[in-house]
Amino acid sequence: MTDQNRKSCVVIVPCSGIGKTYGAVSREAAYVITEDLRPEDTQLVALSMLVLGDETARAAVAGNSAITIDGCKLACASKMVKESGGKVVQEIAVLDVYRRYKQFKPQGIGELNEGGLQLAKALADEVAVTIDTLASDNKGGRNA
Amino acid sequence: MPEFLETMVDKFTFKVAPDRLYNAEGLWAKLEGNLVRIGLSDFLQQRSGDVAFAEVKPVGTQVAFGDEIAAIETIKVNISLTSPVTGRVVEVNPAMTTAPEAINQDPFGAGWLAVVEAADWETDKASLLDPQVYFAKMKLEAEQEVKKQ
Amino acid sequence: MPDLPKKKVGVVSCSGEELAEGTVTRLAALKVLEQLRPADTVTICLPLFLAGGEGDRAFARFYPTIAVDGCELRCAARATELYSSKPAASIVVRELIAENDLGQPEGRRRLNQAGLQAVDATAERIAALVDELLGKYSDRQAGTFVEPQTVSAGPENSQETEKAVACSCSSGIPIQNVQIGGQEVTLIALPLIFEQFRQSGKTPSVATAGELLDTVKLYNSVPENTDEQYKTILLREYAAFYEKESDR
Repeated sequence: MTDQNRKSCVVIVPCSGIGKTYGAVSREAAYVITEDLRPEDTQLVALSMLVLGDETARAAVAGNSAITIDGCKLACASKMVKESGGKVVQEIAVLDVYRRYKQFKPQGIGELNEGGLQLAKALADEVAVTIDTLASDNKGGRNA
Repeated sequence: MPEFLETMVDKFTFKVAPDRLYNAEGLWAKLEGNLVRIGLSDFLQQRSGDVAFAEVKPVGTQVAFGDEIAAIETIKVNISLTSPVTGRVVEVNPAMTTAPEAINQDPFGAGWLAVVEAADWETDKASLLDPQVYFAKMKLEAEQEVKKQ
Repeated sequence: MPDLPKKKVGVVSCSGEELAEGTVTRLAALKVLEQLRPADTVTICLPLFLAGGEGDRAFARFYPTIAVDGCELRCAARATELYSSKPAASIVVRELIAENDLGQPEGRRRLNQAGLQAVDATAERIAALVDELLGKYSDRQAGTFVEPQTVSAGPENSQETEKAVACSCSSGIPIQNVQIGGQEVTLIALPLIFEQFRQSGKTPSVATAGELLDTVKLYNSVPENTDEQYKTILLREYAAFYEKESDR
Protein backbone atom coordinates (compact mmCIF):
# COMPACT_ATOMS: atom_id res chain seq x y z
CA MET A 1 0.00 0.00 0.00
CA THR A 2 2.77 2.50 0.76
CA ASP A 3 5.82 3.32 -1.29
CA GLN A 4 8.35 0.58 -1.02
CA ASN A 5 10.86 0.98 1.80
CA ARG A 6 14.27 2.05 0.68
CA LYS A 7 17.41 1.90 2.74
CA SER A 8 18.60 5.23 4.15
CA CYS A 9 15.95 7.37 2.58
CA VAL A 10 14.43 10.43 4.15
CA VAL A 11 10.76 10.12 5.00
CA ILE A 12 8.67 13.10 3.96
CA VAL A 13 5.43 13.62 5.88
CA PRO A 14 3.16 16.51 4.84
CA CYS A 15 0.17 17.57 6.86
CA SER A 16 -2.10 17.89 3.82
CA GLY A 17 -4.53 19.91 5.90
CA ILE A 18 -7.74 20.52 4.04
CA GLY A 19 -8.87 23.65 5.87
CA LYS A 20 -6.29 26.12 4.55
CA THR A 21 -4.32 26.75 1.41
CA TYR A 22 -1.14 26.11 3.38
CA GLY A 23 -2.15 22.46 3.69
CA ALA A 24 -2.41 22.19 -0.08
CA VAL A 25 1.05 23.73 -0.39
CA SER A 26 2.46 21.17 2.05
CA ARG A 27 1.00 18.36 -0.04
CA GLU A 28 2.26 19.77 -3.33
CA ALA A 29 5.72 20.38 -1.89
CA ALA A 30 5.89 16.78 -0.71
CA TYR A 31 5.12 15.59 -4.23
CA VAL A 32 7.72 17.93 -5.75
CA ILE A 33 10.36 16.51 -3.41
CA THR A 34 9.51 12.84 -3.74
CA GLU A 35 8.62 12.77 -7.44
CA ASP A 36 10.71 15.49 -9.04
CA LEU A 37 13.68 16.60 -6.97
CA ARG A 38 14.86 13.64 -4.89
CA PRO A 39 12.87 10.54 -5.86
CA GLU A 40 15.72 8.13 -5.06
CA ASP A 41 16.43 9.59 -1.63
CA THR A 42 12.97 10.10 -0.23
CA GLN A 43 9.75 8.32 0.61
CA LEU A 44 6.36 9.90 1.10
CA VAL A 45 4.45 8.61 4.12
CA ALA A 46 0.82 9.48 4.78
CA LEU A 47 0.40 10.96 8.26
CA SER A 48 -2.88 9.23 9.03
CA MET A 49 -1.52 5.82 8.13
CA LEU A 50 1.40 6.40 10.45
CA VAL A 51 -0.76 7.58 13.32
CA LEU A 52 -3.26 4.77 12.91
CA GLY A 53 -0.54 2.16 13.07
CA ASP A 54 0.12 1.01 9.54
CA GLU A 55 3.13 -1.28 9.87
CA THR A 56 4.85 -0.20 6.69
CA ALA A 57 4.47 3.47 7.55
CA ARG A 58 5.76 2.88 11.07
CA ALA A 59 8.72 0.89 9.82
CA ALA A 60 9.64 3.61 7.35
CA VAL A 61 9.59 6.27 10.07
CA ALA A 62 11.37 4.09 12.60
CA GLY A 63 14.22 3.30 10.27
CA ASN A 64 14.85 6.70 8.71
CA SER A 65 15.10 10.40 9.37
CA ALA A 66 11.93 12.36 8.78
CA ILE A 67 11.16 15.80 7.45
CA THR A 68 7.72 17.12 8.27
CA ILE A 69 5.96 19.76 6.23
CA ASP A 70 3.23 21.56 8.13
CA GLY A 71 0.88 24.09 6.67
CA CYS A 72 0.64 26.24 9.74
CA LYS A 73 1.98 26.64 13.23
CA LEU A 74 -0.39 24.07 14.66
CA ALA A 75 2.31 21.68 13.40
CA CYS A 76 0.15 18.58 13.26
CA ALA A 77 2.57 16.52 11.16
CA SER A 78 5.58 17.38 13.28
CA LYS A 79 3.75 16.63 16.50
CA MET A 80 2.32 13.33 15.36
CA VAL A 81 5.50 12.04 13.76
CA LYS A 82 7.39 12.72 16.98
CA GLU A 83 4.67 11.05 19.01
CA SER A 84 4.89 8.06 16.72
CA GLY A 85 8.57 7.74 17.56
CA GLY A 86 9.97 9.37 14.43
CA LYS A 87 13.31 11.19 14.33
CA VAL A 88 12.40 14.56 12.84
CA VAL A 89 15.49 16.24 11.43
CA GLN A 90 13.65 19.19 9.93
CA GLU A 91 10.27 20.68 10.71
CA ILE A 92 9.22 23.10 8.06
CA ALA A 93 6.09 25.25 8.18
CA VAL A 94 4.66 26.64 4.95
CA LEU A 95 3.80 29.84 6.78
CA ASP A 96 7.49 30.43 7.58
CA VAL A 97 8.51 29.78 3.99
CA TYR A 98 5.80 32.17 2.79
CA ARG A 99 7.39 34.87 4.96
CA ARG A 100 10.60 34.41 2.98
CA TYR A 101 8.84 34.31 -0.37
CA LYS A 102 6.12 36.91 0.00
CA GLN A 103 5.83 37.20 -3.76
CA PHE A 104 4.36 33.67 -3.92
CA LYS A 105 0.98 34.19 -2.30
CA PRO A 106 -0.89 30.88 -2.31
CA GLN A 107 -4.60 30.57 -2.92
CA GLY A 108 -6.92 27.64 -3.38
CA ILE A 109 -7.11 24.32 -1.61
CA GLY A 110 -8.33 21.83 -4.23
CA GLU A 111 -6.32 23.55 -6.89
CA LEU A 112 -3.39 25.78 -6.03
CA ASN A 113 -2.82 29.00 -7.90
CA GLU A 114 0.51 29.80 -9.54
CA GLY A 115 1.72 31.50 -6.36
CA GLY A 116 0.98 28.35 -4.40
CA LEU A 117 2.79 26.14 -6.88
CA GLN A 118 5.81 28.43 -6.80
CA LEU A 119 5.77 28.47 -3.02
CA ALA A 120 5.65 24.68 -2.96
CA LYS A 121 8.63 24.57 -5.29
CA ALA A 122 10.58 27.04 -3.14
CA LEU A 123 9.83 24.97 -0.05
CA ALA A 124 10.80 21.78 -1.84
CA ASP A 125 14.12 23.34 -2.88
CA GLU A 126 14.88 24.18 0.76
CA VAL A 127 14.09 20.63 1.83
CA ALA A 128 16.26 19.23 -0.98
CA VAL A 129 19.24 21.05 0.53
CA THR A 130 18.59 19.32 3.85
CA ILE A 131 18.30 15.96 2.12
CA ASP A 132 21.60 16.50 0.32
CA THR A 133 23.27 17.48 3.59
CA LEU A 134 21.98 14.34 5.26
CA ALA A 135 23.16 12.23 2.37
CA SER A 136 26.65 13.70 2.45
CA ASP A 137 26.81 13.33 6.26
CA ASN A 138 25.91 9.68 5.83
CA LYS A 139 28.61 9.18 3.22
CA GLY A 140 31.11 11.02 5.42
CA GLY A 141 30.19 8.76 8.28
CA ARG A 142 30.71 5.67 6.21
CA ASN A 143 34.08 6.90 4.94
CA ALA A 144 35.38 7.84 8.37
CA MET B 1 -6.85 35.61 34.14
CA PRO B 2 -10.48 34.81 35.02
CA GLU B 3 -12.24 32.17 32.90
CA PHE B 4 -13.13 33.14 29.39
CA LEU B 5 -16.59 33.79 28.06
CA GLU B 6 -16.96 31.18 25.33
CA THR B 7 -19.24 30.32 22.49
CA MET B 8 -19.10 27.59 19.90
CA VAL B 9 -20.17 28.03 16.29
CA ASP B 10 -19.88 24.87 14.19
CA LYS B 11 -16.52 23.44 15.28
CA PHE B 12 -15.03 26.81 16.26
CA THR B 13 -14.79 28.04 19.80
CA PHE B 14 -14.50 31.78 20.33
CA LYS B 15 -13.29 33.16 23.62
CA VAL B 16 -13.56 36.59 25.16
CA ALA B 17 -11.29 37.54 28.05
CA PRO B 18 -13.46 39.16 30.73
CA ASP B 19 -10.71 41.34 32.24
CA ARG B 20 -10.39 43.92 29.47
CA LEU B 21 -12.39 46.17 27.17
CA TYR B 22 -12.94 45.94 23.42
CA ASN B 23 -13.43 48.20 20.47
CA ALA B 24 -16.08 47.36 17.88
CA GLU B 25 -13.42 46.06 15.50
CA GLY B 26 -12.28 43.45 17.98
CA LEU B 27 -9.12 44.86 19.51
CA TRP B 28 -8.82 44.53 23.26
CA ALA B 29 -7.40 47.10 25.68
CA LYS B 30 -6.19 46.16 29.15
CA LEU B 31 -5.29 48.78 31.71
CA GLU B 32 -2.00 48.16 33.55
CA GLY B 33 -1.42 51.12 35.85
CA ASN B 34 -1.28 54.10 33.49
CA LEU B 35 -0.40 51.92 30.55
CA VAL B 36 -2.76 50.09 28.23
CA ARG B 37 -1.78 46.82 26.58
CA ILE B 38 -3.59 46.06 23.32
CA GLY B 39 -4.12 43.05 21.12
CA LEU B 40 -6.53 41.17 18.89
CA SER B 41 -9.54 39.30 20.18
CA ASP B 42 -9.82 35.56 19.59
CA PHE B 43 -12.66 36.10 17.12
CA LEU B 44 -10.73 38.67 15.12
CA GLN B 45 -7.62 36.47 14.88
CA GLN B 46 -9.60 33.42 13.86
CA ARG B 47 -11.59 35.34 11.28
CA SER B 48 -8.42 36.87 9.85
CA GLY B 49 -6.47 33.62 9.57
CA ASP B 50 -2.83 32.76 10.18
CA VAL B 51 -0.83 35.96 10.55
CA ALA B 52 2.07 36.02 8.16
CA PHE B 53 3.21 39.58 8.87
CA ALA B 54 2.42 42.10 11.57
CA GLU B 55 3.58 45.69 11.54
CA VAL B 56 3.05 47.81 14.62
CA LYS B 57 3.71 51.53 14.90
CA PRO B 58 7.13 51.99 16.48
CA VAL B 59 7.88 53.11 20.03
CA GLY B 60 7.35 56.83 20.40
CA THR B 61 4.47 57.07 17.95
CA GLN B 62 1.57 59.21 19.10
CA VAL B 63 -1.75 57.59 18.27
CA ALA B 64 -5.27 58.86 18.69
CA PHE B 65 -8.25 56.68 19.42
CA GLY B 66 -9.26 55.25 16.03
CA ASP B 67 -5.89 55.85 14.33
CA GLU B 68 -4.13 52.92 12.70
CA ILE B 69 -1.78 51.38 15.23
CA ALA B 70 -0.94 48.15 13.43
CA ALA B 71 -1.53 46.21 10.25
CA ILE B 72 -1.60 42.47 9.82
CA GLU B 73 -1.37 40.40 6.69
CA THR B 74 -2.75 36.91 6.42
CA ILE B 75 -3.48 34.75 3.43
CA LYS B 76 -7.08 35.92 3.59
CA VAL B 77 -6.83 39.61 4.43
CA ASN B 78 -4.64 42.66 4.91
CA ILE B 79 -6.18 44.61 7.72
CA SER B 80 -5.48 47.88 9.36
CA LEU B 81 -6.07 47.82 13.11
CA THR B 82 -7.29 50.93 14.84
CA SER B 83 -6.11 51.96 18.26
CA PRO B 84 -8.58 51.58 21.16
CA VAL B 85 -6.64 54.18 23.12
CA THR B 86 -5.07 57.63 22.68
CA GLY B 87 -1.48 57.97 23.76
CA ARG B 88 2.13 57.17 23.01
CA VAL B 89 3.41 53.73 22.02
CA VAL B 90 5.94 52.75 24.68
CA GLU B 91 6.48 49.10 23.86
CA VAL B 92 5.98 46.87 20.84
CA ASN B 93 5.82 43.10 21.17
CA PRO B 94 9.09 41.78 19.65
CA ALA B 95 7.25 38.62 18.63
CA MET B 96 5.45 40.68 15.98
CA THR B 97 8.68 40.64 13.97
CA THR B 98 10.00 37.20 14.71
CA ALA B 99 6.88 35.12 15.34
CA PRO B 100 3.63 36.97 14.63
CA GLU B 101 1.78 33.67 14.78
CA ALA B 102 1.67 34.39 18.51
CA ILE B 103 -1.41 36.45 17.66
CA ASN B 104 -3.13 33.24 16.55
CA GLN B 105 -1.70 31.00 19.24
CA ASP B 106 -2.31 33.21 22.27
CA PRO B 107 -4.27 36.33 21.31
CA PHE B 108 -4.96 37.39 24.91
CA GLY B 109 -1.48 36.59 26.22
CA ALA B 110 1.78 36.30 24.32
CA GLY B 111 0.17 37.66 21.14
CA TRP B 112 -0.23 41.23 22.43
CA LEU B 113 0.60 43.98 19.95
CA ALA B 114 1.76 47.02 21.86
CA VAL B 115 1.65 48.94 25.10
CA VAL B 116 0.43 52.54 25.02
CA GLU B 117 0.89 55.22 27.65
CA ALA B 118 -2.69 56.44 27.79
CA ALA B 119 -3.32 60.19 27.54
CA ASP B 120 -6.95 60.07 28.68
CA TRP B 121 -8.07 56.56 29.52
CA GLU B 122 -11.31 57.66 31.18
CA THR B 123 -12.54 59.22 27.96
CA ASP B 124 -11.36 56.35 25.77
CA LYS B 125 -12.84 53.65 27.94
CA ALA B 126 -16.29 55.21 27.67
CA SER B 127 -16.14 54.43 23.96
CA LEU B 128 -15.14 50.81 24.42
CA LEU B 129 -17.33 47.77 24.95
CA ASP B 130 -17.32 45.81 28.15
CA PRO B 131 -16.61 42.08 27.70
CA GLN B 132 -20.23 40.96 28.01
CA VAL B 133 -21.41 43.40 25.37
CA TYR B 134 -18.52 42.50 23.08
CA PHE B 135 -19.27 38.82 23.63
CA ALA B 136 -22.87 39.23 22.49
CA LYS B 137 -21.82 41.26 19.48
CA MET B 138 -19.07 38.82 18.57
CA LYS B 139 -21.40 35.84 18.91
CA LEU B 140 -23.90 37.37 16.53
CA GLU B 141 -21.20 38.20 14.01
CA ALA B 142 -19.77 34.70 14.20
CA GLU B 143 -23.17 33.11 13.62
CA GLN B 144 -23.93 35.44 10.74
CA GLU B 145 -20.61 34.66 9.10
CA VAL B 146 -21.28 30.96 9.27
CA LYS B 147 -24.74 31.42 7.76
CA LYS B 148 -23.22 33.38 4.87
CA GLN B 149 -21.17 30.38 3.76
CA MET C 1 -33.87 29.66 25.08
CA PRO C 2 -30.29 29.94 23.81
CA ASP C 3 -29.64 30.58 20.14
CA LEU C 4 -28.48 27.12 19.13
CA PRO C 5 -26.17 26.29 16.23
CA LYS C 6 -27.58 24.89 13.00
CA LYS C 7 -27.24 21.17 12.53
CA LYS C 8 -24.54 20.38 10.01
CA VAL C 9 -22.67 17.36 8.77
CA GLY C 10 -18.92 17.02 9.15
CA VAL C 11 -17.04 15.63 6.17
CA VAL C 12 -13.75 13.90 6.97
CA SER C 13 -11.64 12.95 4.00
CA CYS C 14 -8.51 10.86 4.24
CA SER C 15 -6.60 13.03 1.72
CA GLY C 16 -4.12 10.17 1.50
CA GLU C 17 -1.11 11.34 -0.48
CA GLU C 18 0.12 7.95 -1.63
CA LEU C 19 -2.79 7.02 -3.87
CA ALA C 20 -4.79 8.85 -6.50
CA GLU C 21 -7.89 7.76 -4.62
CA GLY C 22 -6.71 9.85 -1.69
CA THR C 23 -6.67 12.91 -3.93
CA VAL C 24 -10.16 11.96 -5.11
CA THR C 25 -11.45 12.03 -1.51
CA ARG C 26 -9.94 15.44 -0.94
CA LEU C 27 -11.37 17.02 -4.05
CA ALA C 28 -14.76 15.40 -3.57
CA ALA C 29 -15.00 16.68 -0.01
CA LEU C 30 -14.04 20.17 -1.14
CA LYS C 31 -16.60 20.08 -3.93
CA VAL C 32 -19.34 19.29 -1.44
CA LEU C 33 -18.12 21.91 1.03
CA GLU C 34 -17.71 24.67 -1.51
CA GLN C 35 -20.32 23.98 -4.16
CA LEU C 36 -22.89 21.28 -3.48
CA ARG C 37 -23.80 21.73 0.19
CA PRO C 38 -21.91 24.76 1.55
CA ALA C 39 -24.55 25.67 4.12
CA ASP C 40 -24.93 22.13 5.45
CA THR C 41 -21.39 20.89 5.83
CA VAL C 42 -18.23 21.55 7.77
CA THR C 43 -14.80 20.26 6.95
CA ILE C 44 -13.00 18.20 9.53
CA CYS C 45 -9.27 18.49 8.97
CA LEU C 46 -7.94 14.97 9.52
CA PRO C 47 -4.35 15.86 10.55
CA LEU C 48 -5.67 18.41 13.04
CA PHE C 49 -8.18 15.86 14.23
CA LEU C 50 -5.43 13.29 14.78
CA ALA C 51 -3.18 15.80 16.49
CA GLY C 52 -5.86 16.61 19.05
CA GLY C 53 -7.86 19.46 17.51
CA GLU C 54 -10.52 19.74 20.17
CA GLY C 55 -12.98 21.76 18.11
CA ASP C 56 -12.98 19.19 15.33
CA ARG C 57 -13.23 16.27 17.74
CA ALA C 58 -16.04 17.87 19.69
CA PHE C 59 -17.95 18.60 16.52
CA ALA C 60 -17.55 15.03 15.34
CA ARG C 61 -18.75 13.71 18.70
CA PHE C 62 -22.11 15.36 18.48
CA TYR C 63 -22.82 16.06 14.88
CA PRO C 64 -23.12 13.40 12.18
CA THR C 65 -20.00 12.84 10.11
CA ILE C 66 -19.31 11.27 6.76
CA ALA C 67 -15.91 9.62 6.39
CA VAL C 68 -14.54 9.57 2.87
CA ASP C 69 -11.63 7.17 2.38
CA GLY C 70 -9.58 6.34 -0.65
CA CYS C 71 -8.94 2.73 0.14
CA GLU C 72 -9.90 -0.07 2.47
CA LEU C 73 -7.50 1.09 5.18
CA ARG C 74 -10.26 3.59 5.98
CA CYS C 75 -8.07 5.99 7.91
CA ALA C 76 -10.71 8.73 8.07
CA ALA C 77 -13.43 6.40 9.33
CA ARG C 78 -11.16 4.74 11.89
CA ALA C 79 -9.77 8.03 13.17
CA THR C 80 -13.23 9.53 13.54
CA GLU C 81 -14.45 6.53 15.51
CA LEU C 82 -11.28 6.42 17.61
CA TYR C 83 -11.28 10.04 18.67
CA SER C 84 -14.92 11.05 18.52
CA SER C 85 -17.69 8.73 17.53
CA LYS C 86 -18.51 6.36 14.72
CA PRO C 87 -19.20 8.19 11.46
CA ALA C 88 -22.84 8.23 10.44
CA ALA C 89 -21.76 7.16 6.96
CA SER C 90 -18.60 5.93 5.33
CA ILE C 91 -17.55 5.98 1.69
CA VAL C 92 -14.59 4.13 0.25
CA VAL C 93 -13.69 5.51 -3.15
CA ARG C 94 -12.32 2.21 -4.44
CA GLU C 95 -15.62 0.53 -3.68
CA LEU C 96 -17.61 3.34 -5.23
CA ILE C 97 -15.52 3.13 -8.39
CA ALA C 98 -16.18 -0.60 -8.63
CA GLU C 99 -19.92 -0.18 -7.97
CA ASN C 100 -20.24 2.44 -10.68
CA ASP C 101 -17.90 0.77 -13.11
CA LEU C 102 -15.72 3.85 -13.37
CA GLY C 103 -12.21 3.96 -14.76
CA GLN C 104 -9.13 3.76 -12.55
CA PRO C 105 -8.04 7.16 -11.18
CA GLU C 106 -4.41 7.95 -11.73
CA GLY C 107 -2.17 10.86 -10.90
CA ARG C 108 -1.75 11.75 -7.21
CA ARG C 109 -1.03 15.37 -8.04
CA ARG C 110 -3.16 15.88 -11.13
CA LEU C 111 -5.97 13.42 -11.58
CA ASN C 112 -6.70 11.87 -14.95
CA GLN C 113 -10.15 11.95 -16.50
CA ALA C 114 -11.23 8.84 -14.64
CA GLY C 115 -10.09 10.45 -11.42
CA LEU C 116 -12.15 13.55 -12.10
CA GLN C 117 -15.19 11.40 -12.81
CA ALA C 118 -14.60 9.64 -9.53
CA VAL C 119 -14.50 13.02 -7.80
CA ASP C 120 -17.90 13.92 -9.23
CA ALA C 121 -19.41 10.56 -8.33
CA THR C 122 -18.01 10.68 -4.80
CA ALA C 123 -19.17 14.25 -4.30
CA GLU C 124 -22.70 13.35 -5.42
CA ARG C 125 -22.75 10.42 -3.03
CA ILE C 126 -21.56 12.61 -0.15
CA ALA C 127 -24.20 15.24 -0.96
CA ALA C 128 -26.96 12.64 -1.00
CA LEU C 129 -25.81 11.32 2.37
CA VAL C 130 -25.75 14.85 3.77
CA ASP C 131 -29.38 15.30 2.73
CA GLU C 132 -30.32 11.98 4.27
CA LEU C 133 -28.58 12.77 7.52
CA LEU C 134 -30.21 16.17 7.77
CA GLY C 135 -33.58 14.62 7.09
CA LYS C 136 -34.14 16.57 3.92
CA TYR C 137 -36.18 15.17 1.09
CA SER C 138 -36.78 16.37 -2.38
CA ASP C 139 -40.17 17.75 -3.31
CA ARG C 140 -40.23 16.92 -6.99
CA GLN C 141 -43.26 19.05 -7.72
CA ALA C 142 -41.77 22.14 -6.16
CA GLY C 143 -38.30 21.22 -7.38
CA THR C 144 -36.82 22.12 -4.02
CA PHE C 145 -35.58 20.52 -0.86
CA VAL C 146 -37.96 20.47 2.04
CA GLU C 147 -36.72 20.36 5.61
CA PRO C 148 -38.73 18.53 8.24
CA GLN C 149 -40.76 20.57 10.71
CA THR C 150 -39.20 20.69 14.14
CA VAL C 151 -41.44 20.35 17.14
CA SER C 152 -41.15 23.47 19.23
CA ALA C 153 -40.42 23.03 22.90
CA GLY C 154 -41.70 26.52 23.59
CA PRO C 155 -43.87 27.73 26.44
CA GLU C 156 -47.03 25.95 25.32
CA ASN C 157 -45.28 22.62 25.77
CA SER C 158 -43.51 23.41 29.00
CA GLN C 159 -46.09 21.70 31.17
CA GLU C 160 -45.82 18.48 29.21
CA THR C 161 -42.06 18.30 29.34
CA GLU C 162 -40.23 19.35 32.43
CA LYS C 163 -37.02 18.85 30.53
CA ALA C 164 -37.08 19.85 26.86
CA VAL C 165 -35.75 17.03 24.73
CA ALA C 166 -35.51 18.91 21.46
CA CYS C 167 -34.64 22.53 20.97
CA SER C 168 -36.98 24.98 19.36
CA CYS C 169 -34.57 26.02 16.64
CA SER C 170 -34.14 24.09 13.45
CA SER C 171 -30.84 22.52 14.46
CA GLY C 172 -32.40 19.55 16.25
CA ILE C 173 -29.75 19.58 18.99
CA PRO C 174 -31.11 18.06 22.17
CA ILE C 175 -31.01 20.22 25.25
CA GLN C 176 -31.93 19.61 28.85
CA ASN C 177 -33.06 22.03 31.52
CA VAL C 178 -31.68 21.49 35.00
CA GLN C 179 -31.96 23.35 38.28
CA ILE C 180 -28.63 24.71 39.52
CA GLY C 181 -28.42 27.05 42.48
CA GLY C 182 -32.15 27.70 42.35
CA GLN C 183 -32.06 28.71 38.69
CA GLU C 184 -33.15 26.85 35.62
CA VAL C 185 -30.20 26.30 33.33
CA THR C 186 -30.43 24.99 29.79
CA LEU C 187 -27.55 22.72 28.87
CA ILE C 188 -26.92 22.15 25.19
CA ALA C 189 -26.33 18.58 24.09
CA LEU C 190 -26.72 17.15 27.61
CA PRO C 191 -28.90 14.18 26.56
CA LEU C 192 -26.33 13.26 23.91
CA ILE C 193 -23.51 13.59 26.40
CA PHE C 194 -25.29 11.29 28.83
CA GLU C 195 -25.98 8.74 26.11
CA GLN C 196 -22.38 8.76 24.97
CA PHE C 197 -21.11 8.28 28.50
CA ARG C 198 -23.53 5.44 29.08
CA GLN C 199 -22.49 3.75 25.87
CA SER C 200 -18.86 4.13 26.88
CA GLY C 201 -19.65 2.19 30.03
CA LYS C 202 -19.09 5.08 32.43
CA THR C 203 -21.09 4.49 35.57
CA PRO C 204 -22.22 7.38 37.79
CA SER C 205 -19.29 8.28 40.04
CA VAL C 206 -17.28 11.23 41.29
CA ALA C 207 -14.74 10.71 38.53
CA THR C 208 -17.47 10.56 35.92
CA ALA C 209 -18.93 13.81 37.27
CA GLY C 210 -15.63 15.54 36.53
CA GLU C 211 -15.55 14.16 33.02
CA LEU C 212 -19.17 15.15 32.47
CA LEU C 213 -18.42 18.71 33.47
CA ASP C 214 -15.44 18.87 31.11
CA THR C 215 -17.62 17.69 28.23
CA VAL C 216 -20.51 20.00 29.15
CA LYS C 217 -18.08 22.91 29.09
CA LEU C 218 -17.35 22.25 25.42
CA TYR C 219 -20.89 23.33 24.57
CA ASN C 220 -21.98 25.52 27.42
CA SER C 221 -20.63 28.46 29.30
CA VAL C 222 -20.24 27.47 32.95
CA PRO C 223 -20.00 30.44 35.32
CA GLU C 224 -16.91 30.97 37.40
CA ASN C 225 -16.74 29.19 40.79
CA THR C 226 -19.68 26.89 40.07
CA ASP C 227 -17.80 23.75 39.10
CA GLU C 228 -18.71 21.86 42.25
CA GLN C 229 -22.38 22.81 41.98
CA TYR C 230 -22.47 21.71 38.38
CA LYS C 231 -20.73 18.43 39.11
CA THR C 232 -23.23 17.61 41.84
CA ILE C 233 -26.19 18.26 39.60
CA LEU C 234 -24.68 16.54 36.58
CA LEU C 235 -23.94 13.46 38.64
CA ARG C 236 -27.46 13.38 40.00
CA GLU C 237 -29.02 13.81 36.55
CA TYR C 238 -26.70 11.26 35.02
CA ALA C 239 -27.44 8.72 37.74
CA ALA C 240 -31.18 9.13 37.05
CA PHE C 241 -30.61 8.79 33.32
CA TYR C 242 -28.37 5.77 33.79
CA GLU C 243 -30.88 4.00 35.99
CA LYS C 244 -33.72 4.73 33.60
CA GLU C 245 -31.78 3.41 30.62
CA SER C 246 -30.66 0.33 32.51
CA ASP C 247 -34.25 -0.52 33.37
CA ARG C 248 -35.30 -0.61 29.70
